[in-house]
Amino acid sequence: MKWIRWQGLIAFVVVVIVVMGVWFFVVDSAIEAVIEKTGTHVVGAKVELEGADLSISPLGLSLTGLQVTNPDEPMSNAVQVDRMALLVEGAKLFRRKVIVKEMTLEGARLNTPRKRSGAISRQPAAAPSVSKRAAGEKFTLPPLGVPNVSEILQREKLRSLELAEALQADLQTEKDQWRKRLAELPDKVKLATYRERIEKLRSAKGGTGVLGAVKEVMGVQKELRKDLDRIKAGQNALQKNLTLFRKRMDEVADAPLADVRRLKEKYAFSPKGLTNVSRLVFGGKIAKWADTALDWYERLRPVLERSKKRKEGHEVVKPVRGKGADVRFKEHEPLPDFLIRIAHVSMEILAGSIRGQIQNITPDQDVLGAPLTYDFSGEDLTRLRSVKLDGALNHVDPSSPKDTANFNIRGYRVTDMSLSDSTELPMVLKKATADLKARAFLSGETLKANLLAGLQSVEIATGSQDEAGGLVKAMASAVSDIKEFGVEANISGTLKAYDLQLSSDLDRVLKEAVRKQVDAQVTRLEKELQSAISEKVSEPMADIKASLGGLSAISSELTARLNLGNELLKGTKQSGRSGLKLPF
Amino acid sequence: MLRAIARLLSALNSQTEPGQISLAFCFAMMAGLTPLFSPHNFLVLLIVLLLRVNLSTFILGLGLFSGIAYLLDPLFHWIGLAVLTAGALEGLWTALYNTTLFRLEKFNNSIVMGSLLFSVVLFVPLYFISNQMIVRYREHVLAWVQKSRIMQAFKATKLYRLYSTYSEFRGTA
Repeated sequence: MKWIRWQGLIAFVVVVIVVMGVWFFVVDSAIEAVIEKTGTHVVGAKVELEGADLSISPLGLSLTGLQVTNPDEPMSNAVQVDRMALLVEGAKLFRRKVIVKEMTLEGARLNTPRKRSGAISRQPAAAPSVSKRAAGEKFTLPPLGVPNVSEILQREKLRSLELAEALQADLQTEKDQWRKRLAELPDKVKLATYRERIEKLRSAKGGTGVLGAVKEVMGVQKELRKDLDRIKAGQNALQKNLTLFRKRMDEVADAPLADVRRLKEKYAFSPKGLTNVSRLVFGGKIAKWADTALDWYERLRPVLERSKKRKEGHEVVKPVRGKGADVRFKEHEPLPDFLIRIAHVSMEILAGSIRGQIQNITPDQDVLGAPLTYDFSGEDLTRLRSVKLDGALNHVDPSSPKDTANFNIRGYRVTDMSLSDSTELPMVLKKATADLKARAFLSGETLKANLLAGLQSVEIATGSQDEAGGLVKAMASAVSDIKEFGVEANISGTLKAYDLQLSSDLDRVLKEAVRKQVDAQVTRLEKELQSAISEKVSEPMADIKASLGGLSAISSELTARLNLGNELLKGTKQSGRSGLKLPF
Repeated sequence: MLRAIARLLSALNSQTEPGQISLAFCFAMMAGLTPLFSPHNFLVLLIVLLLRVNLSTFILGLGLFSGIAYLLDPLFHWIGLAVLTAGALEGLWTALYNTTLFRLEKFNNSIVMGSLLFSVVLFVPLYFISNQMIVRYREHVLAWVQKSRIMQAFKATKLYRLYSTYSEFRGTA
């Protein structure tokens, strides 16, 4: 039997030609489908392409009508490109390397409207970041009128009143105790018995004789001394407590002032409240810009760096699409699997056309050994003198990526920009010329950014203040007088949670404007608080004084008893009229 | 599909060399288990067309093994990754990695390597096992099957009519 059939060779050639023919016939549609599918997966919203055309000589690809939906606004495109032309290095394709020598993007536009929604079903968005919450903050003025003192005193606990009530209660307890104790201590009646006993001994004749009388007198003296010591100890204790109570009473007397100070700080409108005006006016806008930029950075991250892990010392790369894993070995001429060496971009914005270029677009910067760099600029545009954006996304060392962005705008003419939609003080930036300089640095997850904006020829409209109070009028007048101001924003933190610090000349201007008005209101509030608190505390204070007086009377009583006892004791030491000479 | 099955049955029941059927089955395994549009499968196709192997068996086998391949992908990935990351073979893989032909083959993909290795290793044993099974089928099963009630019922089907027509046309019945 013959094992070879030569006609099979012809069949093979025919099969190969048919396969190639079919491939060539469907390749454009296949490329279109792959770009749409991969793009949609990366962006998280529809990416659509009108057409793709593969050319063999020179090897290249032309894409038309690319639309990338903004995932946050499905009825608009984040980017729309009329035409993209790619010039591919054909020889490298045999080594499975897609190396685009040059890419040209013509008619790229941002934020264009869509006819149909570009939303796709996806996982619910994560909880809003700190900055997104900040973006939701609205400009509202702090309460401007003098607060109602009666309402304040109903809401607030007064320390002075608490101190007074506590002191009053303690004084009452002390008084009750001393009333009881006073009854236990030798009183004038008991002291009078000593006098009677001494008189009796003096008048005694015969009987037990002189020695016996002396012994009895000494006994009386001992008892009297003991009683006097008890009275003295009691008086000392009472004096000590009285001193403490007087000190507490002084504290109670001072407490209303402290209460007034505390409540004034809490309820009075303070210029301090105006230090964050710039945050309220500009914070939301800047946070929104930052969030949008970071959101897109996160989405495009897979383009800069794809997941790689090492196994047995070899680099194992999971392909973005497809099965299995690719293991990489050392190449004699290392090249990334995908690389766009240079992309020329012409972008249409409202102000005109911006041109620039992006170099080294690849997910394998570590293989290429060079970072992605970008540089865009435009001059003499419709509403701005010049704009420049440059920077680098350096992921050459994937363990410590460093990304930078510099953005400069000069002579941007701002018109009718709402600064505050507050009903009390609406503010619209009618016109201004702005210079803006922003720098951002991202090292790993650590984000640092600084934005400086200088606005000249400023004209701010504040709406009608016919029915507004003096404070609002003062603020409106100050704002209307502003001819220039600056804003500085500093962002620091991580991609997921960053802190936005803002400062502006507006804060200082507004503070100065309202200082006098605020001072007058504060003085008025202080007086009203003082009067109301004094009235509330006066009654307990009177009670305290009365109670303290009661204790003083007890002290006087003790002093009187002590004096009486001392006189008696003194009398027993002197020779009596009976001629009895005592030996002490 | 019915025609391909009829042709296979015809080949099995004819005097076609068992080796022709077995070899087609083995090549079908190789092409079916590995990713279809891999360059090595063009070589397999060339061999299948050039050698006088049974094409119906190849086509049916290709369909069968392509289905099985999906189930075996995790095994292929495991084998491929183990082989590609074996320290002793690093020099060989590095040399192949720097060769255009092998890069085109995408041998460094774990599934390509795993499935190719799996099918190459099984190629020879499968050839002999298939050969044996065909011989035994013809010796012991064919006569019994022909007489069985199921076969009698089968002879009344459209598939059998196709098979008969084909066999008569080829003169192998």
